[in-house]
Amino acid sequence: MKRALALAALLTGALLAGAQKLPWQTSASMKPADDQLVHFLYPQQVTVPAGKAQTVELHFRINAGLHINSHEPRQKSLIRTELIAAEPTGVNISAVDFPPGSDYAFPLDPQEKLSVYTGDFVLKMHLTARKGNHLVQGALRYQACDTNTCFPPRNVPVAMDVIGQ
Amino acid sequence: MRRNILVLTAMVVALGLMIAAGVMNYLQRRRAAEAQAQMMKMTLVPDDGSGQGSTEQPVTETADEAAENSTGMNGKAAPNFTLVDINGKKVSLADFRGHPLVVDFWATWCGPCKVEIPWFEKLHDQYASQGLQILGVSADDLDKDDPAKLFTEKRDIADFAQKMHMNYPVLIDADSIANSYGGLDALPTTFFIDKNGKIVASTIGLAPEDLIEADIQKAIHSGASS
Repeated sequence: MKRALALAALLTGALLAGAQKLPWQTSASMKPADDQLVHFLYPQQVTVPAGKAQTVELHFRINAGLHINSHEPRQKSLIRTELIAAEPTGVNISAVDFPPGSDYAFPLDPQEKLSVYTGDFVLKMHLTARKGNHLVQGALRYQACDTNTCFPPRNVPVAMDVIGQ
Repeated sequence: MRRNILVLTAMVVALGLMIAAGVMNYLQRRRAAEAQAQMMKMTLVPDDGSGQGSTEQPVTETADEAAENSTGMNGKAAPNFTLVDINGKKVSLADFRGHPLVVDFWATWCGPCKVEIPWFEKLHDQYASQGLQILGVSADDLDKDDPAKLFTEKRDIADFAQKMHMNYPVLIDADSIANSYGGLDALPTTFFIDKNGKIVASTIGLAPEDLIEADIQKAIHSGASS
């Protein structure tokens, strides 16, 4: 299990501004839910002890027949799966763990092994929340392919209420 | 005793009527279901060009045939464009009028594209004497507002092209012409264009090498005598 910090920035100001779009929302890669090839399943809300470091599991599902690159693809040119998240005031996200990828090779290129995710996968977010309700927003950036076609990179929104008690 | 026989007879008759009614009801419902299923059956028929489907000779489409016409642009004029290549030189589609041409949209992050690029290199040499030209158009994202990032992205595309030994012009910024080429929602997407600028075949996704070669031959021979 590799630990990787994949938090783009502390964007508290942007969150407070409300009307202002977050970085991943301005990208053409943000597709409507129907066009997404990966879906954020749950949780939409978690309750954690205030002030204590906690791990929250984020569950995702990839459409059948597709794969996406893992967080650590074997070729430099491939686009890694990343979580881009903003930290609202009162929440500190220290790291996100990505699962290791599985080996995959395109049928017409069996020699070149890729590191990919298929089906369901889980990210582990390490966070500490102050007392109160906080909305953590972000996006999972991914690039999907099937056996002979690849699709441009997309961002699937991730939103979760974190309740510190 | 006689009364019991009458009651028993009435019960048997009633039971018989109930069974008969049940059987008839079942048969009626089955006939209705069959009729509905028949109505919902769909038959694929060849398009005779009249816009009216024929009711005879249902056909099944092979995967290759489906891939061959998947862009919906076959038979249309290839939309013109002007892009820059990895050396900064402007290249227009119109420059290639009079040549059979392959325009292959690809990206550095596209595994299937990497499989077919060596095929294009080989076919480029193989059909050079018949005037074949190939253009590879990169669909990699370009941060046009960030000069430093843009520089790196262009360099990465050029490095990739060099590593893959691409022996034909490599253009960048496919996104700027994506709409005119059907959106380019999946890669690789390849167009085979004849000497007159007409798209004679196109594929979305990695097509078998022999299909690519057949499409190149189609582009070479289409409009050859015009």
